Amino acid sequence: MGKFREDLATQWRVIGALLIREIYTRFGREGLGFGWIIGEPLIFAVPVLLVWSAVRAPYEHGVPMMPMVWTGYLPILLFRHIGGRMLMFIRANAGLLYHRQVTIFDIYLARCILEVASNSTAVVASFALFYSVGLLDPPLDLSMFYLGYFYTIWWSAAVGLIIGGLSERSDWVEKIWTPFSYLYMFFSGFIFMAAWLPPAVRGWALYMPSLQAYEMIRAGMFGATVKTYGDPGYITLALGVLTLIGLQIMRESRKYVVAE
Amino acid sequence: MIKAINITKEYRTEGRVHRAVSDVSFTVARGEKLAVLGRNGAGKSTLIRLLGGVELPTSGAIEQNMSVSWPLALQGGFQGSLTGNDNMRFIARIYDKPFDDIKAYVDDFAELGKYLSEPLKIYSIGMRARFAFALSLAIDFDCYLIDEVIAAGDQRFQRRSHEELFEKRVDRSLILASHMGEIIKSYCSRALVLHHGQGNLIGDIDLALQVYNDL
Repeated sequence: MGKFREDLATQWRVIGALLIREIYTRFGREGLGFGWIIGEPLIFAVPVLLVWSAVRAPYEHGVPMMPMVWTGYLPILLFRHIGGRMLMFIRANAGLLYHRQVTIFDIYLARCILEVASNSTAVVASFALFYSVGLLDPPLDLSMFYLGYFYTIWWSAAVGLIIGGLSERSDWVEKIWTPFSYLYMFFSGFIFMAAWLPPAVRGWALYMPSLQAYEMIRAGMFGATVKTYGDPGYITLALGVLTLIGLQIMRESRKYVVAE
Repeated sequence: MIKAINITKEYRTEGRVHRAVSDVSFTVARGEKLAVLGRNGAGKSTLIRLLGGVELPTSGAIEQNMSVSWPLALQGGFQGSLTGNDNMRFIARIYDKPFDDIKAYVDDFAELGKYLSEPLKIYSIGMRARFAFALSLAIDFDCYLIDEVIAAGDQRFQRRSHEELFEKRVDRSLILASHMGEIIKSYCSRALVLHHGQGNLIGDIDLALQVYNDL
Protein backbone atom coordinates (compact mmCIF):
# COMPACT_ATOMS: atom_id res chain seq x y z
CA MET A 1 0.00 0.00 0.00
CA GLY A 2 2.87 2.35 0.91
CA LYS A 3 4.55 1.52 -2.39
CA PHE A 4 1.39 2.26 -4.32
CA ARG A 5 0.95 5.62 -2.63
CA GLU A 6 4.57 6.45 -3.31
CA ASP A 7 4.14 5.58 -6.99
CA LEU A 8 1.02 7.70 -7.15
CA ALA A 9 2.87 10.63 -5.56
CA THR A 10 5.69 10.24 -8.11
CA GLN A 11 3.20 10.18 -10.94
CA TRP A 12 1.49 13.35 -9.80
CA ARG A 13 4.84 15.07 -9.41
CA VAL A 14 5.88 14.00 -12.90
CA ILE A 15 2.59 15.10 -14.46
CA GLY A 16 2.88 18.45 -12.68
CA ALA A 17 6.43 18.92 -13.98
CA LEU A 18 5.33 17.96 -17.50
CA LEU A 19 2.46 20.45 -17.35
CA ILE A 20 4.78 23.30 -16.42
CA ARG A 21 7.25 22.26 -19.10
CA GLU A 22 4.47 21.99 -21.68
CA ILE A 23 3.21 25.47 -20.82
CA TYR A 24 6.71 26.95 -21.16
CA THR A 25 7.49 25.23 -24.44
CA ARG A 26 4.09 25.96 -25.97
CA PHE A 27 3.38 29.45 -24.79
CA GLY A 28 6.84 30.74 -23.90
CA ARG A 29 7.68 32.72 -20.81
CA GLU A 30 7.43 36.19 -22.32
CA GLY A 31 4.39 38.38 -23.02
CA LEU A 32 1.01 36.78 -22.42
CA GLY A 33 2.65 33.41 -21.64
CA PHE A 34 0.26 31.28 -19.65
CA GLY A 35 -2.58 33.66 -20.59
CA TRP A 36 -2.61 32.08 -24.05
CA ILE A 37 -4.18 29.03 -22.50
CA ILE A 38 -7.43 31.03 -22.42
CA GLY A 39 -6.59 33.39 -25.28
CA GLU A 40 -5.85 30.76 -27.92
CA PRO A 41 -9.21 28.95 -27.98
CA LEU A 42 -11.11 32.21 -27.48
CA ILE A 43 -9.53 33.87 -30.51
CA PHE A 44 -10.55 30.81 -32.46
CA ALA A 45 -13.98 30.21 -30.99
CA VAL A 46 -15.60 33.63 -30.67
CA PRO A 47 -15.42 34.74 -34.34
CA VAL A 48 -16.42 31.27 -35.57
CA LEU A 49 -19.37 31.15 -33.17
CA LEU A 50 -20.57 34.59 -34.29
CA VAL A 51 -20.27 33.70 -37.99
CA TRP A 52 -22.01 30.34 -37.57
CA SER A 53 -24.90 31.81 -35.68
CA ALA A 54 -25.16 34.70 -38.17
CA VAL A 55 -25.39 32.52 -41.29
CA ARG A 56 -27.91 30.09 -39.82
CA ALA A 57 -31.57 30.85 -39.19
CA PRO A 58 -32.14 32.01 -35.59
CA TYR A 59 -34.27 28.91 -34.92
CA GLU A 60 -34.08 25.45 -36.46
CA HIS A 61 -36.58 22.75 -35.44
CA GLY A 62 -37.68 25.16 -32.73
CA VAL A 63 -34.21 25.30 -31.21
CA PRO A 64 -32.37 28.65 -30.92
CA MET A 65 -29.21 28.61 -33.02
CA MET A 66 -26.83 30.59 -30.82
CA PRO A 67 -26.86 28.15 -27.85
CA MET A 68 -26.94 25.26 -30.33
CA VAL A 69 -23.70 26.45 -31.93
CA TRP A 70 -22.14 27.42 -28.61
CA THR A 71 -22.77 23.97 -27.10
CA GLY A 72 -21.63 22.36 -30.35
CA TYR A 73 -18.47 24.11 -31.35
CA LEU A 74 -16.35 24.04 -28.19
CA PRO A 75 -16.52 20.22 -27.91
CA ILE A 76 -15.40 20.09 -31.57
CA LEU A 77 -12.37 22.20 -30.68
CA LEU A 78 -11.55 19.92 -27.73
CA PHE A 79 -11.82 16.80 -29.86
CA ARG A 80 -9.64 18.23 -32.61
CA HIS A 81 -7.06 19.69 -30.28
CA ILE A 82 -6.60 16.56 -28.20
CA GLY A 83 -6.39 14.39 -31.32
CA GLY A 84 -4.00 16.80 -33.01
CA ARG A 85 -1.74 17.03 -29.95
CA MET A 86 -1.49 13.25 -29.77
CA LEU A 87 -0.31 12.71 -33.35
CA MET A 88 3.18 11.19 -33.06
CA PHE A 89 3.45 12.61 -29.55
CA ILE A 90 5.62 9.72 -28.34
CA ARG A 91 8.21 10.35 -31.02
CA ALA A 92 8.16 14.08 -30.36
CA ASN A 93 8.79 13.51 -26.66
CA ALA A 94 11.26 10.63 -26.86
CA GLY A 95 13.81 12.86 -25.11
CA LEU A 96 11.65 12.83 -21.99
CA LEU A 97 11.75 9.05 -21.85
CA TYR A 98 15.42 9.33 -20.87
CA HIS A 99 14.06 9.81 -17.38
CA ARG A 100 12.59 6.51 -16.38
CA GLN A 101 9.91 7.86 -14.08
CA VAL A 102 8.36 9.64 -17.07
CA THR A 103 6.02 7.29 -18.93
CA ILE A 104 4.21 7.89 -22.20
CA PHE A 105 1.03 7.76 -20.16
CA ASP A 106 2.19 10.74 -18.05
CA ILE A 107 2.94 12.73 -21.20
CA TYR A 108 -0.47 11.81 -22.59
CA LEU A 109 -2.23 12.84 -19.38
CA ALA A 110 -0.34 16.12 -19.12
CA ARG A 111 -1.31 17.02 -22.68
CA CYS A 112 -4.95 16.07 -22.09
CA ILE A 113 -5.13 18.07 -18.87
CA LEU A 114 -3.73 21.14 -20.60
CA GLU A 115 -6.21 20.87 -23.48
CA VAL A 116 -9.14 20.33 -21.14
CA ALA A 117 -8.07 23.26 -18.96
CA SER A 118 -7.73 25.44 -22.02
CA ASN A 119 -11.08 24.37 -23.44
CA SER A 120 -12.95 24.69 -20.14
CA THR A 121 -11.70 28.22 -19.57
CA ALA A 122 -12.81 29.04 -23.12
CA VAL A 123 -16.27 27.62 -22.33
CA VAL A 124 -16.55 29.80 -19.25
CA ALA A 125 -15.05 32.91 -20.84
CA SER A 126 -17.14 32.69 -24.04
CA PHE A 127 -20.27 32.07 -21.98
CA ALA A 128 -19.54 35.14 -19.86
CA LEU A 129 -18.98 37.19 -23.01
CA PHE A 130 -22.14 36.07 -24.84
CA TYR A 131 -24.22 36.18 -21.67
CA SER A 132 -23.15 39.75 -20.93
CA VAL A 133 -24.35 40.91 -24.37
CA GLY A 134 -27.59 38.94 -24.10
CA LEU A 135 -26.80 36.30 -26.77
CA LEU A 136 -26.88 33.33 -24.41
CA ASP A 137 -28.86 32.11 -21.40
CA PRO A 138 -27.39 29.86 -18.71
CA PRO A 139 -27.96 26.08 -19.05
CA LEU A 140 -31.30 25.08 -17.48
CA ASP A 141 -29.95 21.85 -15.99
CA LEU A 142 -26.35 22.47 -15.02
CA SER A 143 -25.53 18.97 -13.73
CA MET A 144 -26.73 17.40 -16.99
CA PHE A 145 -24.65 19.94 -18.90
CA TYR A 146 -21.56 18.98 -16.90
CA LEU A 147 -22.27 15.28 -17.36
CA GLY A 148 -22.42 15.78 -21.13
CA TYR A 149 -19.18 17.73 -21.01
CA PHE A 150 -17.54 15.02 -18.93
CA TYR A 151 -18.38 12.46 -21.60
CA THR A 152 -17.14 14.85 -24.29
CA ILE A 153 -13.78 15.02 -22.50
CA TRP A 154 -13.62 11.25 -22.04
CA TRP A 155 -14.55 10.61 -25.68
CA SER A 156 -11.91 13.07 -26.96
CA ALA A 157 -9.28 11.63 -24.62
CA ALA A 158 -10.10 8.03 -25.64
CA VAL A 159 -9.85 8.88 -29.35
CA GLY A 160 -6.60 10.75 -28.58
CA LEU A 161 -5.20 7.62 -26.97
CA ILE A 162 -5.97 5.53 -30.05
CA ILE A 163 -4.82 8.19 -32.54
CA GLY A 164 -1.64 8.79 -30.54
CA GLY A 165 -0.76 5.11 -30.42
CA LEU A 166 -1.62 4.35 -34.04
CA SER A 167 0.19 7.39 -35.44
CA GLU A 168 3.46 5.95 -34.11
CA ARG A 169 2.92 2.86 -36.21
CA SER A 170 1.68 4.22 -39.53
CA ASP A 171 2.08 7.54 -41.36
CA TRP A 172 -1.43 7.09 -42.72
CA VAL A 173 -2.96 8.09 -39.41
CA GLU A 174 -1.57 11.61 -39.54
CA LYS A 175 -2.70 12.09 -43.16
CA ILE A 176 -6.21 10.83 -42.46
CA TRP A 177 -6.63 12.73 -39.21
CA THR A 178 -6.94 16.16 -40.90
CA PRO A 179 -9.86 15.35 -43.25
CA PHE A 180 -11.42 13.14 -40.60
CA SER A 181 -11.38 15.84 -37.93
CA TYR A 182 -12.94 18.24 -40.45
CA LEU A 183 -15.72 15.88 -41.53
CA TYR A 184 -16.28 15.11 -37.87
CA MET A 185 -18.02 18.49 -37.62
CA PHE A 186 -20.86 17.13 -39.72
CA PHE A 187 -21.42 13.71 -38.19
CA SER A 188 -20.44 14.35 -34.55
CA GLY A 189 -23.75 15.91 -33.56
CA PHE A 190 -22.43 19.48 -33.58
CA ILE A 191 -25.08 20.81 -35.97
CA PHE A 192 -27.98 18.42 -35.41
CA MET A 193 -29.90 16.69 -32.66
CA ALA A 194 -30.96 13.05 -32.60
CA ALA A 195 -34.62 14.13 -32.55
CA TRP A 196 -34.23 15.75 -35.99
CA LEU A 197 -33.19 12.48 -37.63
CA PRO A 198 -35.58 9.96 -39.18
CA PRO A 199 -36.16 7.18 -36.59
CA ALA A 200 -34.40 4.54 -38.72
CA VAL A 201 -31.23 6.66 -38.93
CA ARG A 202 -31.45 7.80 -35.31
CA GLY A 203 -30.99 4.27 -33.96
CA TRP A 204 -27.68 3.96 -35.79
CA ALA A 205 -26.54 7.52 -35.14
CA LEU A 206 -26.87 7.01 -31.39
CA TYR A 207 -24.05 4.46 -31.49
CA MET A 208 -21.77 7.49 -32.00
CA PRO A 209 -20.46 8.45 -28.55
CA SER A 210 -20.06 12.12 -29.48
CA LEU A 211 -23.77 12.37 -30.39
CA GLN A 212 -24.62 10.80 -27.02
CA ALA A 213 -22.50 13.41 -25.24
CA TYR A 214 -24.05 16.21 -27.29
CA GLU A 215 -27.53 14.97 -26.42
CA MET A 216 -26.70 15.31 -22.72
CA ILE A 217 -25.09 18.72 -23.11
CA ARG A 218 -28.20 19.92 -24.92
CA ALA A 219 -30.52 18.30 -22.42
CA GLY A 220 -28.60 20.40 -19.88
CA MET A 221 -28.72 23.55 -21.99
CA PHE A 222 -32.37 23.46 -23.06
CA GLY A 223 -33.91 21.37 -20.27
CA ALA A 224 -37.28 19.79 -21.01
CA THR A 225 -37.95 22.16 -23.93
CA VAL A 226 -36.29 19.67 -26.32
CA LYS A 227 -36.38 15.89 -26.67
CA THR A 228 -32.98 14.23 -26.20
CA TYR A 229 -31.71 10.66 -26.37
CA GLY A 230 -28.59 10.52 -24.18
CA ASP A 231 -27.93 7.11 -22.59
CA PRO A 232 -25.22 7.23 -19.87
CA GLY A 233 -25.13 3.44 -19.61
CA TYR A 234 -24.33 2.96 -23.28
CA ILE A 235 -21.76 5.76 -23.54
CA THR A 236 -19.94 4.65 -20.38
CA LEU A 237 -19.63 1.15 -21.79
CA ALA A 238 -18.58 2.37 -25.25
CA LEU A 239 -15.94 4.75 -23.88
CA GLY A 240 -14.68 2.16 -21.42
CA VAL A 241 -14.07 -0.26 -24.28
CA LEU A 242 -12.43 2.43 -26.45
CA THR A 243 -10.17 3.44 -23.55
CA LEU A 244 -9.02 -0.13 -22.98
CA ILE A 245 -8.29 -0.54 -26.70
CA GLY A 246 -6.41 2.77 -26.68
CA LEU A 247 -4.31 1.79 -23.65
CA GLN A 248 -3.34 -1.47 -25.32
CA ILE A 249 -2.36 0.27 -28.58
CA MET A 250 -0.34 2.81 -26.60
CA ARG A 251 1.47 0.09 -24.65
CA GLU A 252 2.33 -1.71 -27.87
CA SER A 253 3.64 1.51 -29.41
CA ARG A 254 6.07 2.03 -26.55
CA LYS A 255 8.08 -0.93 -27.88
CA TYR A 256 8.66 0.89 -31.15
CA VAL A 257 9.90 4.15 -29.67
CA VAL A 258 13.24 5.11 -31.16
CA ALA A 259 14.98 7.74 -29.07
CA GLU A 260 16.92 10.61 -30.58
CA MET B 1 23.56 -4.68 -9.33
CA ILE B 2 22.35 -4.37 -12.89
CA LYS B 3 21.86 -7.50 -14.91
CA ALA B 4 21.28 -7.82 -18.66
CA ILE B 5 19.85 -11.18 -19.65
CA ASN B 6 19.98 -12.15 -23.33
CA ILE B 7 18.92 -8.74 -24.55
CA THR B 8 18.23 -8.27 -28.24
CA LYS B 9 17.08 -5.09 -29.97
CA GLU B 10 15.79 -5.02 -33.52
CA TYR B 11 14.74 -2.06 -35.64
CA ARG B 12 12.64 -2.18 -38.75
CA THR B 13 14.03 0.11 -41.44
CA GLU B 14 12.92 0.19 -45.06
CA GLY B 15 11.12 -3.08 -44.59
CA ARG B 16 14.18 -4.90 -43.31
CA VAL B 17 14.95 -6.01 -39.78
CA HIS B 18 18.20 -4.67 -38.42
CA ARG B 19 19.55 -6.30 -35.26
CA ALA B 20 21.44 -3.61 -33.33
CA VAL B 21 22.06 -5.64 -30.18
CA SER B 22 22.12 -9.41 -30.37
CA ASP B 23 21.70 -11.67 -27.35
CA VAL B 24 23.94 -9.75 -24.95
CA SER B 25 24.24 -10.77 -21.29
CA PHE B 26 26.34 -9.35 -18.46
CA THR B 27 26.20 -8.25 -14.83
CA VAL B 28 27.58 -5.10 -13.28
CA ALA B 29 27.96 -5.23 -9.50
CA ARG B 30 27.86 -2.22 -7.18
CA GLY B 31 31.05 -0.21 -7.55
CA GLU B 32 32.10 -1.97 -10.73
CA LYS B 33 33.19 -0.01 -13.79
CA LEU B 34 32.40 -1.59 -17.15
CA ALA B 35 33.57 -0.24 -20.50
CA VAL B 36 31.53 -0.78 -23.65
CA LEU B 37 33.84 -0.81 -26.65
CA GLY B 38 32.98 -1.03 -30.29
CA ARG B 39 33.21 0.73 -33.62
CA ASN B 40 30.61 3.22 -34.81
CA GLY B 41 27.32 1.41 -35.29
CA ALA B 42 28.35 -1.61 -33.21
CA GLY B 43 25.39 -1.09 -30.87
CA LYS B 44 27.01 0.82 -27.97
CA SER B 45 24.50 3.66 -27.79
CA THR B 46 21.58 1.30 -28.32
CA LEU B 47 22.78 -0.84 -25.42
CA ILE B 48 23.14 2.23 -23.18
CA ARG B 49 19.62 3.39 -24.07
CA LEU B 50 18.22 -0.06 -23.30
CA LEU B 51 19.96 -0.08 -19.92
CA GLY B 52 18.54 3.37 -19.22
CA GLY B 53 15.02 2.23 -20.04
CA VAL B 54 14.67 4.77 -22.86
CA GLU B 55 13.94 2.04 -25.38
CA LEU B 56 12.64 -1.42 -24.64
CA PRO B 57 14.47 -4.59 -25.74
CA THR B 58 12.79 -6.71 -28.42
CA SER B 59 13.54 -9.73 -26.25
CA GLY B 60 15.43 -10.44 -23.06
CA ALA B 61 15.29 -8.61 -19.76
CA ILE B 62 17.16 -6.04 -17.70
CA GLU B 63 17.07 -6.37 -13.92
CA GLN B 64 18.38 -3.80 -11.51
CA ASN B 65 18.35 -3.22 -7.80
CA MET B 66 20.18 0.10 -7.75
CA SER B 67 19.30 3.50 -9.10
CA VAL B 68 20.58 3.91 -12.65
CA SER B 69 21.10 7.30 -14.24
CA TRP B 70 19.56 8.34 -17.52
CA PRO B 71 21.98 7.79 -20.43
CA LEU B 72 24.40 10.69 -20.47
CA ALA B 73 24.82 11.21 -24.18
CA LEU B 74 25.38 14.08 -26.57
CA GLN B 75 21.65 14.31 -27.08
CA GLY B 76 18.50 13.31 -25.31
CA GLY B 77 17.08 13.95 -21.89
CA PHE B 78 16.66 17.69 -22.22
CA GLN B 79 14.50 20.23 -23.99
CA GLY B 80 16.61 22.37 -26.33
CA SER B 81 14.17 25.26 -26.43
CA LEU B 82 14.19 25.62 -22.64
CA THR B 83 16.96 27.32 -20.68
CA GLY B 84 19.49 25.46 -18.57
CA ASN B 85 17.66 26.70 -15.47
CA ASP B 86 14.25 25.51 -16.71
CA ASN B 87 15.71 22.13 -17.62
CA MET B 88 17.17 21.92 -14.12
CA ARG B 89 13.80 22.86 -12.60
CA PHE B 90 12.14 20.08 -14.58
CA ILE B 91 14.74 17.52 -13.50
CA ALA B 92 14.53 18.71 -9.89
CA ARG B 93 10.76 18.25 -9.95
CA ILE B 94 10.68 14.78 -11.44
CA TYR B 95 13.52 13.47 -9.26
CA ASP B 96 12.07 15.23 -6.22
CA LYS B 97 15.23 17.15 -5.27
CA PRO B 98 15.44 20.77 -4.10
CA PHE B 99 16.14 23.02 -7.08
CA ASP B 100 18.51 25.28 -5.13
CA ASP B 101 20.85 22.41 -4.23
CA ILE B 102 20.93 21.19 -7.80
CA LYS B 103 21.50 24.65 -9.18
CA ALA B 104 24.38 25.27 -6.73
CA TYR B 105 26.06 22.00 -7.66
CA VAL B 106 25.65 22.42 -11.43
CA ASP B 107 26.83 26.01 -11.21
CA ASP B 108 30.00 24.92 -9.46
CA PHE B 109 30.76 21.84 -11.52
CA ALA B 110 29.74 22.81 -15.04
CA GLU B 111 30.98 26.42 -14.81
CA LEU B 112 28.39 27.62 -17.29
CA GLY B 113 27.70 30.94 -15.54
CA LYS B 114 25.15 33.10 -17.32
CA TYR B 115 24.63 30.44 -19.99
CA LEU B 116 22.30 28.71 -17.55
CA SER B 117 19.66 31.31 -18.44
CA GLU B 118 20.07 30.63 -22.17
CA PRO B 119 18.23 27.93 -24.15
CA LEU B 120 20.12 24.65 -24.25
CA LYS B 121 20.12 24.60 -28.05
CA ILE B 122 22.75 27.35 -28.19
CA TYR B 123 25.19 25.36 -26.01
CA SER B 124 28.27 23.87 -27.65
CA ILE B 125 28.72 20.10 -27.45
CA GLY B 126 31.24 20.50 -24.65
CA MET B 127 28.92 22.78 -22.65
CA ARG B 128 26.07 20.38 -23.10
CA ALA B 129 28.22 17.50 -21.91
CA ARG B 130 29.23 19.50 -18.82
CA PHE B 131 25.62 20.43 -18.11
CA ALA B 132 24.27 16.88 -18.46
CA PHE B 133 27.07 15.38 -16.43
CA ALA B 134 26.85 17.92 -13.61
CA LEU B 135 23.09 17.51 -13.41
CA SER B 136 23.29 13.72 -13.13
CA LEU B 137 25.97 14.00 -10.42
CA ALA B 138 23.70 16.42 -8.57
CA ILE B 139 20.86 13.89 -8.60
CA ASP B 140 23.25 11.24 -7.29
CA PHE B 141 22.74 7.75 -8.77
CA ASP B 142 24.21 4.37 -7.81
CA CYS B 143 25.11 3.65 -11.41
CA TYR B 144 26.01 6.06 -14.20
CA LEU B 145 25.40 5.31 -17.86
CA ILE B 146 27.78 7.36 -19.95
CA ASP B 147 27.78 7.43 -23.72
CA GLU B 148 30.90 9.26 -24.90
CA VAL B 149 30.14 12.59 -23.20
CA ILE B 150 33.27 12.71 -21.07
CA ALA B 151 35.36 12.79 -24.23
CA ALA B 152 33.38 15.84 -25.42
CA GLY B 153 34.51 18.03 -22.55
CA ASP B 154 37.80 19.86 -22.18
CA GLN B 155 40.79 18.73 -20.06
CA ARG B 156 39.64 20.49 -16.92
CA PHE B 157 36.18 18.92 -17.18
CA GLN B 158 37.68 15.48 -17.75
CA ARG B 159 39.90 15.89 -14.69
CA ARG B 160 37.01 17.00 -12.51
CA SER B 161 34.74 14.20 -13.79
CA HIS B 162 37.40 11.70 -12.87
CA GLU B 163 37.68 13.27 -9.43
CA GLU B 164 33.93 13.15 -8.85
CA LEU B 165 33.47 9.59 -10.08
CA PHE B 166 36.58 8.03 -8.56
CA GLU B 167 37.60 9.95 -5.50
CA LYS B 168 34.22 11.03 -4.18
CA ARG B 169 32.10 8.16 -5.50
CA VAL B 170 34.29 5.05 -5.48
CA ASP B 171 31.34 2.89 -4.53
CA ARG B 172 29.28 3.86 -7.59
CA SER B 173 28.98 1.74 -10.70
CA LEU B 174 29.72 2.97 -14.16
CA ILE B 175 28.91 1.76 -17.63
CA LEU B 176 30.93 3.77 -20.08
CA ALA B 177 30.66 3.56 -23.85
CA SER B 178 33.59 5.10 -25.65
CA HIS B 179 36.25 4.44 -28.22
CA MET B 180 38.85 6.52 -26.46
CA GLY B 181 41.40 4.03 -25.14
CA GLU B 182 42.88 6.53 -22.67
CA ILE B 183 39.56 7.29 -21.02
CA ILE B 184 38.58 3.63 -20.88
CA LYS B 185 41.88 2.70 -19.25
CA SER B 186 41.63 5.36 -16.59
CA TYR B 187 38.02 4.48 -15.69
CA CYS B 188 37.24 0.81 -16.20
CA SER B 189 38.32 -2.61 -15.03
CA ARG B 190 36.34 -4.78 -17.46
CA ALA B 191 35.02 -4.37 -20.96
CA LEU B 192 32.21 -5.55 -23.15
CA VAL B 193 33.42 -5.47 -26.74
CA LEU B 194 30.54 -5.14 -29.19
CA HIS B 195 30.83 -6.18 -32.79
CA HIS B 196 27.78 -6.18 -35.07
CA GLY B 197 25.62 -6.20 -31.96
CA GLN B 198 27.25 -9.24 -30.39
CA GLY B 199 29.00 -8.91 -27.08
CA ASN B 200 32.29 -10.31 -25.84
CA LEU B 201 32.98 -9.79 -22.14
CA ILE B 202 36.69 -9.41 -21.38
CA GLY B 203 38.10 -9.14 -17.86
CA ASP B 204 41.34 -7.43 -18.82
CA ILE B 205 41.20 -3.90 -20.17
CA ASP B 206 44.44 -4.04 -22.15
CA LEU B 207 43.34 -7.25 -23.81
CA ALA B 208 39.91 -5.74 -24.50
CA LEU B 209 41.49 -2.70 -26.17
CA GLN B 210 43.65 -5.07 -28.21
CA VAL B 211 40.58 -6.99 -29.36
CA TYR B 212 38.81 -3.72 -30.17
CA ASN B 213 41.78 -2.42 -32.16
CA ASP B 214 41.91 -5.63 -34.18
CA LEU B 215 38.22 -5.39 -35.19
